[in-house]
Amino acid sequence: MLNLQPYADPQYFLLLMLGLLPVMIGLYHGRRFKTYETLISLLFIILMFTGAKWQQGVALIGYILWQLAIVFGYLHYRKQRNQTGVFVLTVLLSILPLVIVKVTPAVVLHPSLLGFLGISYLTFKAVQVIMELRDGTMKDVELMPFLRFMLFMPVISSGPIDRYRRFQKDYEQVPERTQYLGMLERAIWYLFLGFFYKYMLGYLFGTVLLPRIEFSALAARHMYWLGLSPALIGVAFVYSMYLFFDFAGYSLFAVATSLVMGIDTPMNFNRPFQAHNIKDFWNRWHMTLSFWFRDFIFMRVTFFIMKHKLIKNPIRVSQVAYLINFLIMGFWHGVTWYYIVYGLFHACAIIINDIWLRFKKKHRKQLPHNRWTEALAIATTFCVVCFSFLIFSGFLNTLWFK
Amino acid sequence: MTRRLWQIFGPVILAALLVVGILLAPLPNGHISKTRLQADAVSLSPNVLGGARVKAQALAQHYVPFLGSSELARMDPFHPSTLAAKYHRPYQPLLLGNPGTQSLTHFVDDQSELNQLKGKKVVFIVSMQWFTRQGQIPAAFDMYYSPLQLSTWLLRAKGNVADRYAARRLLQMNAPAKSTLDRQSLYQIAAGRPVRGWARLALQARLRMLNNEDQLFSRFTHSTNWRRIKDGEKQLPAKDEPQQLEQLAGKIAKNKTKHNRLGIDDTFYRQRLGHGKLASLRGSQRHFEYRYGPEYGDFELLLQQFAKNHTTVQFIIPPINAKWAAYTGLPMGNYAQAVAKLKYQLASQGFTHVEDLSRDGGQPYFMQDTIHLGWRGWLAVDQTVDPFLTQPQPAEHYHLNDAFFGTTWANTTNVR
Repeated sequence: MLNLQPYADPQYFLLLMLGLLPVMIGLYHGRRFKTYETLISLLFIILMFTGAKWQQGVALIGYILWQLAIVFGYLHYRKQRNQTGVFVLTVLLSILPLVIVKVTPAVVLHPSLLGFLGISYLTFKAVQVIMELRDGTMKDVELMPFLRFMLFMPVISSGPIDRYRRFQKDYEQVPERTQYLGMLERAIWYLFLGFFYKYMLGYLFGTVLLPRIEFSALAARHMYWLGLSPALIGVAFVYSMYLFFDFAGYSLFAVATSLVMGIDTPMNFNRPFQAHNIKDFWNRWHMTLSFWFRDFIFMRVTFFIMKHKLIKNPIRVSQVAYLINFLIMGFWHGVTWYYIVYGLFHACAIIINDIWLRFKKKHRKQLPHNRWTEALAIATTFCVVCFSFLIFSGFLNTLWFK
Repeated sequence: MTRRLWQIFGPVILAALLVVGILLAPLPNGHISKTRLQADAVSLSPNVLGGARVKAQALAQHYVPFLGSSELARMDPFHPSTLAAKYHRPYQPLLLGNPGTQSLTHFVDDQSELNQLKGKKVVFIVSMQWFTRQGQIPAAFDMYYSPLQLSTWLLRAKGNVADRYAARRLLQMNAPAKSTLDRQSLYQIAAGRPVRGWARLALQARLRMLNNEDQLFSRFTHSTNWRRIKDGEKQLPAKDEPQQLEQLAGKIAKNKTKHNRLGIDDTFYRQRLGHGKLASLRGSQRHFEYRYGPEYGDFELLLQQFAKNHTTVQFIIPPINAKWAAYTGLPMGNYAQAVAKLKYQLASQGFTHVEDLSRDGGQPYFMQDTIHLGWRGWLAVDQTVDPFLTQPQPAEHYHLNDAFFGTTWANTTNVR
């Protein structure tokens, strides 16, 4: 049976564009063929889960039914009442499958039967809808639009994470012809930039260089304290490059495919290695995820602490919120020591960064600011980030414990 | 508007046509220069092993394939490539193999040149270390996996016993199972049918594309090994005289093995066994087992290919460093049984050129390190290989036996 993993090989792109050709022609003539679009999207999603992956497909169906029950149950409830307890319970139920999928491998050492490719990203979307219903920024959700939003084919496997209202607006509003041509132009550019990123640079760093430098680092580990060889520094940088180009390439494909379908899915990366500090970095790296965490974890934790006056000092409040925010992000990546340390590392980095920014504000006159200090800031941030990705890569786990 | 459409999609369509055109066009193969071939023949690069162009052109000249694995990289002055180059022998080795290339990898990766070897000669260095319970390590297979060579075989396979065995074994590796086309074709062959219909057309198109890729990109193989051969040549005496070479080998080896008691090359010792690592390896091979496993069947695949093409093969079974074997507790009795089993498989099917060096692991300066030939070991190989390749050999009379694919053979030590 044919199985198509999203953006995995040239055939996929060919088939995808062929499948989307009627959609393109429709949009060019100012019409959205909703039924066709739904069917072709479904077909591509089904082909993701054929063959040996059928269990994941079943898990996806079960998961969608579960989220439908929760979201529409809460919608029904929210129209009459608004208790915090019910809201919390709803969110917990909504993230329950994801929690099970993330914890299972750490406990029983094999992947959970509930898991499927993209479960995290679907959970982010569902939780976002629940949160907005709670806040009243969204009054209503309809079945088909909700399903369409959850199962939007280009982004189903790994994001970017769109927002319901933004997505819905794009969907209902067919772009003008010139506007759509602009979108197609961007789509082509992103597609080819993505090819360059993922299949050339990602390949160079991930397939050609990374195994070699990892091998050197492993071979030299006995000669250095904790195996901290020069090659390990190489691993950090090479892995970081690989991670960026692979994921940014993928994200570009997802955005490009969305654009072809007339949906302006938000971008995930904005030159992250040009960031001047860690805060800046998180405004540029995996943006839809970090904004999701900012809006639905960081802000909410901050409000909660302030409202209940748990901590008086506003600086302490944000520090605690950062810790919780990044710790949750760490756990979300997976229940292993290195993901959690990665989260904590970034929390510490951003807290230190905040202290420095306050210090800088106070001593603005004494501190020099020119292009050299900026270069220093960019280089420092880059190194800190690459080190954090070394932790994230799990290579230290191999180096020390295997 | 149409203008704008063209501006957007025109370049893409053009690029696609160009790429497809170049990849599917019957490109000329391009002549490889003499110096380039010299370098490629000793590069040990996976591009050469898995490619077709370099091998085809080398074999059309005076090159002879030397199949093997990690020992091929021991390029001291007595390495077959060095000796052949220095003394202008009528043959020059085309080294095919690397750490981890066992029988199954060779079986797949040598497909393109097998037809070219009709009535020709091959030297095959068979390491007993391949014959573990697991056989071919899947990760190593993936590393040397060549879709080009596999496609060649898939199109060739008819579904006989050997083909079915090979298909089943290949499905146990990771790389071929990942591609739908490979997987489906392998299932076909495993079921005893040749690949037909669309799959066959797809394989042919893919083979054409991969051959073109090979022809375009095999130019970028980079290796500095030829320099090592040249350095070795400088140390050799002007005359090809066995006794003189033997003496020189002893002298060079003595200098290189001063700082350890196992007779191992000092650099190797320092890098791989130094820093207390050796002590942790004492007795570590007590349970090593080379007598059983799928490698015997995989090896049979190669034997049958050789027989079908009437290729005359000189097999060489290198020894294990005796001091190392004693230190690590390798059960030598079992090892000898494994060698005997392998030799039975060869002799009973009519392969007569077998140089068994397996009992020479204790000779001084025979091994460069733990399990790899060096200095005098290479000279011993040369004693066999040089006459084998330079003198005419009577045709072998093969009588193949499919039972060597079976689990009964894989699990027996009873060779008579």
